[in-house]
Amino acid sequence: MTRMGRILAITVLLVACITALPHAQSSPGRNISGAWVPMGAGRGAAAADPKIAPPPATPIVLKPAYAKMFEARRAADAEATKRGDAPATPAVLCLPYGMPRMMTVASYPIEILLTPGQITIVTEAFSEVRRVFLDQPQLPIDEVPPGFYGHSVGRWDGDTLVIDTVGIKESVPGYNLMPHSDQMRITERIRLVTPDVLHDQITIDDPVALEKPFTYTLAFRRLPNYKMVEFVCENNREYIDEQGRVRMRVGGQK
Amino acid sequence: MRIVVGRSMFVLLAAIVAGAVSVRAHHSFSMFDTATPVTLAGVVSSVEWTNPHVYIELDLAEPVKGARHWSIELGSPSILQRGGWKFNSVRKGDKVTAIVSPLKSGEPGSLLTRITLPDGRVLGNGGPAGVGPGTTEPSATPRAK
Repeated sequence: MTRMGRILAITVLLVACITALPHAQSSPGRNISGAWVPMGAGRGAAAADPKIAPPPATPIVLKPAYAKMFEARRAADAEATKRGDAPATPAVLCLPYGMPRMMTVASYPIEILLTPGQITIVTEAFSEVRRVFLDQPQLPIDEVPPGFYGHSVGRWDGDTLVIDTVGIKESVPGYNLMPHSDQMRITERIRLVTPDVLHDQITIDDPVALEKPFTYTLAFRRLPNYKMVEFVCENNREYIDEQGRVRMRVGGQK
Repeated sequence: MRIVVGRSMFVLLAAIVAGAVSVRAHHSFSMFDTATPVTLAGVVSSVEWTNPHVYIELDLAEPVKGARHWSIELGSPSILQRGGWKFNSVRKGDKVTAIVSPLKSGEPGSLLTRITLPDGRVLGNGGPAGVGPGTTEPSATPRAK
């Protein structure tokens, strides 16, 4: 290659490098940056518009031991509701939700931040934070310390962000309080279905707890210019009494 | 035994989630008797603009259900801001009237439905997501349950 040829090749390479990185996340189809609110809570159900309605969830088929646990939890919740009590969930104690439940908490928004090499998802409820490392191999599950958010890696598949998460501890409540093992794997396919509506298709796989993976989809509406509000759980007056009932401290009781 | 949650169950669960009051963040509100509202009129002794809930403590002119002091639970600051609240909308010493859902336990604690401020403004217990300060959408009309 001539000297001029080398210079030309290097120049082309540099230009490609400089333009590729921003482009990777600046394509209109990948414009998922900003605040989003779960649809179906707060203002109008997503199902009202079939074009943006998420598809129905596939069935949850648990293995017998986990089905028994799930049934016991649901029965306890039903009993509490029948008594007129609030179900005693970890959130009553201000414990964060963790994955995957954190992605939709009532009508609280989430915020997606795109930076080179990492996508960060911050929730308003409990100020939970997920970090998704882009274009990296996933770690073996047994090398991830079990936690609320685990270890997430992501990649763009066209205009769909695919996130793989492992390392969620068993005590973190699953989808609809579904029990799971520490071998749970969460695969998300996040994409814009319109410029202002986002779907997060979540597939839960757990060879220990589930007979087969199941999938459900969350829908979000874009909140332009929304400023996320802080949420530090500093003044929790709710507690769970000796009978397992949710109670409220009144009149400044300690 | 296997548990299969099919489409009908999902639809039911989705309906429950969709129907949940937007203030619900960290617990259900089934400990409050929403079917039997109570009116509390008195002077604010403290306001705690905190998470997971905002609290107003109220000294009543006349006892209600045998108590002269009541605690009122509200939504979180985020939820309230969407409904037109500011952190200082209610201050210590304000004379207010609140419609609340009392605790089923009989203790003098409650969940706010709406409150009338000294200047006559009425605020509810929050608003839908994405409205209020910091957004491009119109502010919420205070809700009355």
